[in-house]
Amino acid sequence: MTGPVSTKRWLLLLLPPAIPSLVVVVLLFGHDPVEFRAAQPLIHRSDDFVGSETCRPCHPDHHASWKRTFHRTMTQRANPETVRGVFDGREVRYEGQAARVFRRGNRFFFDLPDGQGRREAEVVLAVGSRRYQQYFERNEHDAGFSLRRLPFLWHIAEQRWLHLNTVFLGPDDADWEKARARWNDNCVFCHNTGPRPGEAFRVSSDGERQFDSEVAELGIACESCHGPGREHAELERSPLERYAAYAGRRHPGSIINPEELSPEREIELCGQCHGQRLPVDRAHLVKWLTTGPTYRSGERLTDHVIPVTRTTPSPAGSAPDLFKLRFWADGTPRLTAYEYQGISMSACHAKGTLKCSSCHSMHGGDPKGMIEPEMRGNEACTSCHTGIARDVSTHTGHPRASSGSRCLECHMPRIVYGILEVHRSHHIEIPDPARDAEAGRPNACTLCHLDRSPLWAAQESRRIWGDAYRDPLYRMDGASLDLPDATASMLAGDAVQRVVYASAAGRPDAALAPAEKAEVRAALAITTGDGYPSIRWMARRSLLALEQEWDTGLSAPLAGWDHTQASTRADMAYDLLDRVASSELPLEGIHPVLLHPDGSINMERILGLLDLQEDRVIDIGE
Amino acid sequence: MNDDATRKTLIVGWALLALFVPLGLTLEALHALKLPVYLDSAMRREMWTLAHAHGNLLGILCVAFVAVAKRTIPDDAARASIARWLRWGAVTMPLGFFLGGVLNHEGDPSWAIAIVPLGGLFLLIALVRTALSAWRS
Repeated sequence: MTGPVSTKRWLLLLLPPAIPSLVVVVLLFGHDPVEFRAAQPLIHRSDDFVGSETCRPCHPDHHASWKRTFHRTMTQRANPETVRGVFDGREVRYEGQAARVFRRGNRFFFDLPDGQGRREAEVVLAVGSRRYQQYFERNEHDAGFSLRRLPFLWHIAEQRWLHLNTVFLGPDDADWEKARARWNDNCVFCHNTGPRPGEAFRVSSDGERQFDSEVAELGIACESCHGPGREHAELERSPLERYAAYAGRRHPGSIINPEELSPEREIELCGQCHGQRLPVDRAHLVKWLTTGPTYRSGERLTDHVIPVTRTTPSPAGSAPDLFKLRFWADGTPRLTAYEYQGISMSACHAKGTLKCSSCHSMHGGDPKGMIEPEMRGNEACTSCHTGIARDVSTHTGHPRASSGSRCLECHMPRIVYGILEVHRSHHIEIPDPARDAEAGRPNACTLCHLDRSPLWAAQESRRIWGDAYRDPLYRMDGASLDLPDATASMLAGDAVQRVVYASAAGRPDAALAPAEKAEVRAALAITTGDGYPSIRWMARRSLLALEQEWDTGLSAPLAGWDHTQASTRADMAYDLLDRVASSELPLEGIHPVLLHPDGSINMERILGLLDLQEDRVIDIGE
Repeated sequence: MNDDATRKTLIVGWALLALFVPLGLTLEALHALKLPVYLDSAMRREMWTLAHAHGNLLGILCVAFVAVAKRTIPDDAARASIARWLRWGAVTMPLGFFLGGVLNHEGDPSWAIAIVPLGGLFLLIALVRTALSAWRS
């Protein structure tokens, strides 16, 4: 009996290690999500990048808070979970041609005009997920591949397709190929993590530059800000190392914590994408196009790139004023993706300690803007400017509860154009009506006081803040200084002036009662006839917003109007202007310029201002 | 069944249930109140959930052990020894998990988690010895 019992006893002793052994076998040979992601097309694991999945086990909360951001979803493979556009077989038209957007199962397609025929383009990548989403097709060449932007984007708020030629700051254009940007040497840099464009510096037989592009991760992930994580991940895999680190032993250099960087290094970290730039020399350019940007988090950005400013010379072969036009005449950026340049110019940063994370939070707050709720209000400023916090209205000269007492309205006005939206300037500064009029840029005062002129703004500034404020000597666009800045800018200004004021005119917090907006409506009505479809878009949107406040019968014609159809713009502008002129809105006491006091249209004034209009296309680099 | 070893084990079993059933109610309350200090810390949630589960299950195990111990482990000395291993394991495992969620780090429990594998070892010893005794009997 001893023998069998002994055998059974040994068998019994084998039970406890059985499951752990099975676990080890599964771990060795089973599905590994980290390896699975690394093996997907377009993904590399070189240059010490390891991917966000590697970060998650130790940083689950940060991973979860990042995962809800629009950074993560900036670039995604096209599938039913990621594609926001409606591919329901509908036809979308622009400038006499039509595309059809449709699905086959879980795949998404455009049917596009192609010379005399048609062709199908399958969507492989979706870029963007907050305001709009753009789509890319993959083209194979005899060596390498390119990902080309498809001609329509999906506007998420409006739930509609828009041709790309209608969203930038340029005129209507029937050339559908114009905005066919290539992902491999453009979008790849800032909309992904660890980009390697893989340019071969050869041209394929179809005339395309050859790329074999890869990224460490689609979208903007952990290593975009914290730097490549291989060394850190390998070091911290040991629990002894981790607990030693918790106890205070640091592993300097193994990973970057942006919060521990100086303000200068931190804004440079964000500026690697939120600050348009050029490689510092030709050698860096070649590296950019082959193995990707050389800058790594925590380094001095200017060792690698030259941030683009108003005075940066244009690259060979491009328009001489390419970069100049992206800034107001005083050097303040007027397009998005120049936030680094804006904050660098700001005294709060240059003379203080302001950095991006003073207001923005990558792991908290509202993913829209990546900002904590309190930082949308005055606390963003009064946490440092404590003296002003005690009596805001004395500082502002405006009632405490009014928009005129909100720090950001005056010191970070909305004067920056991004696609179909106007954003706040990140050049934090003191408004100066004279400087702004002479620099051809919208002024914080008149963005709200839509019926007032730069001269009025200067006089009021002197009344409230003292004699440091002089009268402007001229307007850059040549219009008269005593005209309302909004009206003059919408008609006579350049493209960014027009779109900024067209946007401001529809804001609910403007310092005009709804009944006082006849003149504003007239200017917007004329702007619906603008030569640039993106500006017509903004005018239409603002007019519809004003009609929510006070119905003057403009909603019906606007609702049925497609602003992208250039041939209808003049008729729409005349129709709307007539309706404004015949509306019941009072004109007494509102300084009418485009309308005579009797309500009739002042066509001479309108044409005079339109003659001044600056018609230069502004290449926004998107 | 009223020897010292089983009596202590019974006390430990009921004490664990008395401690960790209310912990479950507390965790439910934290969910109801949506308290970020608990809900937003994945590690703390995991540790305290494990503490709740282990505390209750091991409490039940201690009570069940007392119910069957004399029948399965006839030898008094062996039963007392096994009961001691069981009690230490039953106490240290849920305690380690709970303390692991106090002053924890984002991706790691606090140092107190070190007593969990120790408790697991105690439990394993108790389990194997019980199985062997049952086998022999």
